[in-house]
Amino acid sequence: MKCDDCLNLLEAYVDGEATEREGESVRTHLMTCAACEEKFEALTAENEIYARYDREIQVSPAIWNGIAATINAEERQARRESKSNFGEWLSGLFAMPSLRFAMPAVAMVLIAVIIGLAYLRMRPQTPSSSSANLVAGALPKPDGNKSIGPPPPFVKKEDNSSGVIFVATNYKPKETRNLRPTDQSDVLPDTDGQSGDVEDRDTASHLEQAQNLLTSFRNIKYSDTDEEVDVSFEKSESRRLLSENVLLRREAEQTGKFPAKSMLGSLEPFLIDIANLPDKAKPADVRQITDRVQRTEIVAELRGY
Amino acid sequence: MNSSADLVTRACQGDQEAFRLIFERYSRPVISFIYDQVSDRELADELTQETFVRAYRGLKSLRTETKLSTWLFGIAKNVARESLRARIRQNQHIDLDDKQVLDLSDQTPVPSSQLLDKELNEVVQRSLAMLDEDKRTVFTLKVFHQCSYEEIAEITGFSIPKLKTDLHRARAEMRQRVGQYVRT
Repeated sequence: MKCDDCLNLLEAYVDGEATEREGESVRTHLMTCAACEEKFEALTAENEIYARYDREIQVSPAIWNGIAATINAEERQARRESKSNFGEWLSGLFAMPSLRFAMPAVAMVLIAVIIGLAYLRMRPQTPSSSSANLVAGALPKPDGNKSIGPPPPFVKKEDNSSGVIFVATNYKPKETRNLRPTDQSDVLPDTDGQSGDVEDRDTASHLEQAQNLLTSFRNIKYSDTDEEVDVSFEKSESRRLLSENVLLRREAEQTGKFPAKSMLGSLEPFLIDIANLPDKAKPADVRQITDRVQRTEIVAELRGY
Repeated sequence: MNSSADLVTRACQGDQEAFRLIFERYSRPVISFIYDQVSDRELADELTQETFVRAYRGLKSLRTETKLSTWLFGIAKNVARESLRARIRQNQHIDLDDKQVLDLSDQTPVPSSQLLDKELNEVVQRSLAMLDEDKRTVFTLKVFHQCSYEEIAEITGFSIPKLKTDLHRARAEMRQRVGQYVRT
């Protein structure tokens, strides 16, 4: 092999791209040619320099949070569009000339149904023997027959003075999350109903879940001697809520719901901090967040909603 | 169970956790590659996010014979290229003088070996930025990410003779700027 041939193949050889035969020829030539050997060593030294190149780049957790938020927003948008497409298809069906005649009839039926429902709702309730029975078949009947499904949170009962009253049953909503035992004073549901500012049910539900999460986080039991604290559940929950929070905050901003936007904005740093903890966090890091939760009274603020 | 193919299949079925694992596995090489192209940390973060969002949208189009890393680098290359084009359109030339240069005099004293590493990183980064786009892409894929010629051809769409020429020229240009460190 001549030097020119060797030099032409040298880079491919160093890159591991030379064929077996080419590699063999280069190796043989390098053993006998000092000039080419020098070039080979220079190339190898260059590669060592590049191997030491450190960009000092960290993959910020914010990148994944941004990706998740975008993906969720797009999927939500797609679901909305598929629903509206169905609506358009339905309206298109009625817009067909052959079915247009049906529109007045449909409108009349709808009006009749609405009036009927309104009448039924507004009709005064008269005390009668039947109303003394529990409504909705929720409680066991005297004959022992049991209704199917969970009892409702309230049942209507007859009262001697006013006719009908609502009585709370011992119904408890099905728990969907396996949160740590919490200080119940912080998680009591707001029985006054929804805040006027937070009309959006999604937001209200989200804030309630965030409230539960922060309370759960605040109540994590650990001691100063612990080397690490298991916060994996809170972390994963926080990640989920964080994506949701970003979307809801943007929606609140776009629709001018500024109190909700402000509340979600206050909540977000806590979610980010918890989401960024390792599964086994240091007690000092956990304490730093719990102290901020206490100091800022974010839980009370959430409960205010 | 968590092979790339499994993760892709699960992510295609809407399993976001599987896609998160794909992100965790490939985010570092992707962000490094993008950073080498645009020389801007914040922009690299943004473009990495854009790359993975596009990847999620296009997962179903990923052919089974294509390596996931190759496919992701291909998307990252397009995203970085679009960003560079946009910057050029906005007359925001990539001026090397605008770069955040490490002001070593402001730093606390560091051992000479660390100093050399920092200086070397700076020189490599500046030298990369001075390469033209095609050469930089080919050089980073080969030298930093050890992609094969075939993979680089798939990522860039270049023919193998072109990418070999670009790689050779890129090495020569880099050698002019980094060569003094090779001798030390």
